[in-house]
Amino acid sequence: MTEVADKQTREDALQGMGCSRKRVEDARFIQGKGNYTDDVKMPGMLFADMVRSPYAHARIISINKEKALALPGVHAVLTAEDLKPLNLHWMPTLAGDVQAVLADEKVHFQYQEVAVVIADDRYIAADAIDLVEVEYEELPVLIDPFKAMEPEAPILREDLVGKMTGAHSERKHDNHIFNWQVGEKDATDRVFEQAEVTVSQDMYYHRVHPCPLETCGCVASFDKVNGHLTLYITSQAPHVVRTVVSMLSGLPESKVRVISPDIGGGFGNKVGIYPGYVTAIVASIVLGVPVKWVEDRMENISTTAFARDYHMTGEIAADKDGRIKALRVNVLADHGAFDACADPSKFPAGLLHICTGSYDIPVAHVNVDGVYTNKAPGGVAYRCSFRVTEAVYVIERTMDVLAQKLGIDKAEIRRRNFIRNDQFPYQTCLGWEIDSGDYHNALEKVLTAVDYDGLRREQEEKRARGELMGIGLVTFTEIVGAGPSRNCDILGVGMFDSAEIRIHPTGSIMARMGTITQGQGHQTTYAQIIATELGIPASEIAIQEGDTDTAPYGLGTYGSRSTPVGGAATAVAARKIKAKAQKIAAHLLEVSEDDLEWEIDRFKVKGAPGQEKTMKEIAWAAYNNVPEGMEPGLEAVDYYDPPNFTYPYGVYLCVIDIDKDTGETDIRRFYALDDCGTRINPMIIDGQIHGGLNEGFAVAMGQEMPFDEQGNLMGNTLMDYFVPTFVETPKWETDYLVTPSPHHPLGAKGVAESPHVGSIPCFTSAVVDAFSHLGVTHMNMPHTAPKLWKKVQELGV
Amino acid sequence: MQVDLDKEFALPGSASQGWKFLQDIKGVASCMPGAEITEVIDANNYKGSVKAKVGPATMAFAGTIVIQSLDADKRELHLIGKGQDSKGTSSATMDLTAWVVKDGDKSVLHGKAAVIVTGKAASLGGRMMVQVADQILNQFGKNFINNIAAMGEDTAAEAAREELATQPKELNGFGFAWSVFLGWLKSLFGGDKKAP
Repeated sequence: MTEVADKQTREDALQGMGCSRKRVEDARFIQGKGNYTDDVKMPGMLFADMVRSPYAHARIISINKEKALALPGVHAVLTAEDLKPLNLHWMPTLAGDVQAVLADEKVHFQYQEVAVVIADDRYIAADAIDLVEVEYEELPVLIDPFKAMEPEAPILREDLVGKMTGAHSERKHDNHIFNWQVGEKDATDRVFEQAEVTVSQDMYYHRVHPCPLETCGCVASFDKVNGHLTLYITSQAPHVVRTVVSMLSGLPESKVRVISPDIGGGFGNKVGIYPGYVTAIVASIVLGVPVKWVEDRMENISTTAFARDYHMTGEIAADKDGRIKALRVNVLADHGAFDACADPSKFPAGLLHICTGSYDIPVAHVNVDGVYTNKAPGGVAYRCSFRVTEAVYVIERTMDVLAQKLGIDKAEIRRRNFIRNDQFPYQTCLGWEIDSGDYHNALEKVLTAVDYDGLRREQEEKRARGELMGIGLVTFTEIVGAGPSRNCDILGVGMFDSAEIRIHPTGSIMARMGTITQGQGHQTTYAQIIATELGIPASEIAIQEGDTDTAPYGLGTYGSRSTPVGGAATAVAARKIKAKAQKIAAHLLEVSEDDLEWEIDRFKVKGAPGQEKTMKEIAWAAYNNVPEGMEPGLEAVDYYDPPNFTYPYGVYLCVIDIDKDTGETDIRRFYALDDCGTRINPMIIDGQIHGGLNEGFAVAMGQEMPFDEQGNLMGNTLMDYFVPTFVETPKWETDYLVTPSPHHPLGAKGVAESPHVGSIPCFTSAVVDAFSHLGVTHMNMPHTAPKLWKKVQELGV
Repeated sequence: MQVDLDKEFALPGSASQGWKFLQDIKGVASCMPGAEITEVIDANNYKGSVKAKVGPATMAFAGTIVIQSLDADKRELHLIGKGQDSKGTSSATMDLTAWVVKDGDKSVLHGKAAVIVTGKAASLGGRMMVQVADQILNQFGKNFINNIAAMGEDTAAEAAREELATQPKELNGFGFAWSVFLGWLKSLFGGDKKAP
């Protein structure tokens, strides 16, 4: 075998970074052998079910549990009154507010938890909730956030009356949560006053729900003998859950074990702590037996963590050639009845201030007001990094409006305003440092691939025939990998992440991380990183996550942070091992460390063919023949506090035909180019992009949570709530560039959320483009057939 | 969600016969399929219940009816009914004004109602609410007409009395669902071109 072929064979055997290694998770999932929370069955386990409010706003006059308690098989019915002595009837939220665990005197949104029934099985529990009699006195309902701060608006949070200092700012009204501003207001306003051209566009980023296949749930099991609590839970952040449970229950954190088993999708829905978890834990501690609580679909969509619900105005000041001089963004944020947004503590609107996008914008100002309404709490990042989806939507929509006003093509206006390659790392006027990018090349690559000029010609011809065809274009930049602990924490814990790697004597590896996979394929990709770093085949590397008794502390998986933070920790921990391995190799080969070089899976003595030690040989030696003074073993831990976020970007283009007679849309082409830096597993990246595009398609074209004036949620079943299957889903074309992140140990940036964040404004851009020759500048989502048909009628096309 | 209803039924009797029956709250309630007055508190306050079976679900609403006014000059009744489903998951209120107008020796019953539904019934049934309410009122109208007709002595009155005696005591599940479906189907082709 030639040396080149030998190297290739050894490289292939590793299945390391850059290879489309098949997902090791799939074997169990496709055989139905996954182990989800609802699969956990324990001896003597009881079941919890919730009595929920039919009203959006009402006072509770009385709760009569007698009939429910009389039902055979019912063990307990708990209300806020029962939780009061434990001070658990309210709980803190991640956003510095409090949230009722069980409604305390008042209900604030439809389907709010009023009482919990604990019974022998879930059927008895479901029967018993019907027997709990609750008498309500209805109160005026506040649904429209624009009316929240009117003087005569009904006051929702009686617990906060008179407390005019909130967690993030002074409050202007009893229904006001916070005002948050970033950027230079006066300087921005001055530019707007003197600008040659200004545009302003109102837009509503509607309330949606991540709607993962598996709903939220837990099994709490308290061992009364030794005071240990084990909690199986569908959580994207098991270590954070452990800390919160310890804080709330008073149990030492060492006696709380949180296990996130297999998770059927999270998408932000599984970041928060919900009343069902708290009541199951309380019930288990009180009764001394395991208690399971698992939501049904209606409960999931109605109560656990919605996303978005931002009423935004984007404004751009520019010169007459379309060069941007300033950006203004104003937001009214509908947070529902309790502020339970899942954001880093310092940022009540998440990372919305990435809204300068891919553009060189000299000055900007962002203003956000959050208000309470009679809707469920939440505000999670649905496949998104903390409001980045909203940020990308507002800048990309407003860019289109500017292009339209100036009569400049939407590709050209972006070209004129892109951050140039020589400007990286680029300091945005709102405080971020964009690490790297190659925007111009990415745009040209996409325009060429789809024959953009040809598409525009075709559109002209179709318009002449009275047909509706739209071309959407988005050139987005994300901010992911939260985050540097100097500006990111959750409940005071810095947003680092961790990896612990152990090489066993025979050279196989056990590695554990603080993150938790929910479909991302961590067991596959983390092993690939270690395989490349340490020269051990990925197939011999076991990855474990989600058990807080064994894994090192980490903040979990959301906001595309696993690769940027957990992946970095994995690489750094592997490098610590490699440094020690090099010392052992030098000792074994009786040379100086400096005489060694690394090649795929071994250290070789420079210029001395055959003088080498493989990592497996070194691993064996680590347990029996280490240099004098060195401790045996070969393992390392790393807690990685990232120096910066990472900034994946992409260029998406969508071609859509709209049927004038029915309003039906045909997304005939969707071309997605992503640059996520170094690519660890191209097949998994493609899978993530397909999934993200599907969910982007869902949000833009169908998903919504409409409320009527009484606060009824008019669509909380899958009959109404749009979850596309492959029947509805368009065909996706993917492409990529690689611009490594300069500060990440592997150059990787994270990818899973880019397609969701980037595709949503692209669909809107395409739909609006179909009507733009008729003067339409924006249309709110979702772009359903009835809405488009109505638009066609309105415009008399 | 709120449903506004506006209906007219031509009555086979005189305006005074219509008005006489309209004041009989128990009689009027019995015209509503599945409804009955369970307790008369006083002349203006009643307790009642409505039971409806649609598909596999039975919803039983119990509540109060408060007469706001009975205006003999206008032959007009104004009442507010409020009810909650026994499982506590839904509630409904109805603000109803009904009046009888003379039409030669016959008369016409007019009804105007605002029905507000909250809870599961609204979330799950919102799509069909208008059709359901429409069907309930049609059945109500038919019963009301029969009651007026039954006041007479002729064979038509005899037939009306018979029909009243055999009417179903609650909303008939399958038949009702079918008529709602037909109503919905008709609305698709019925020239009502309002976009949903």
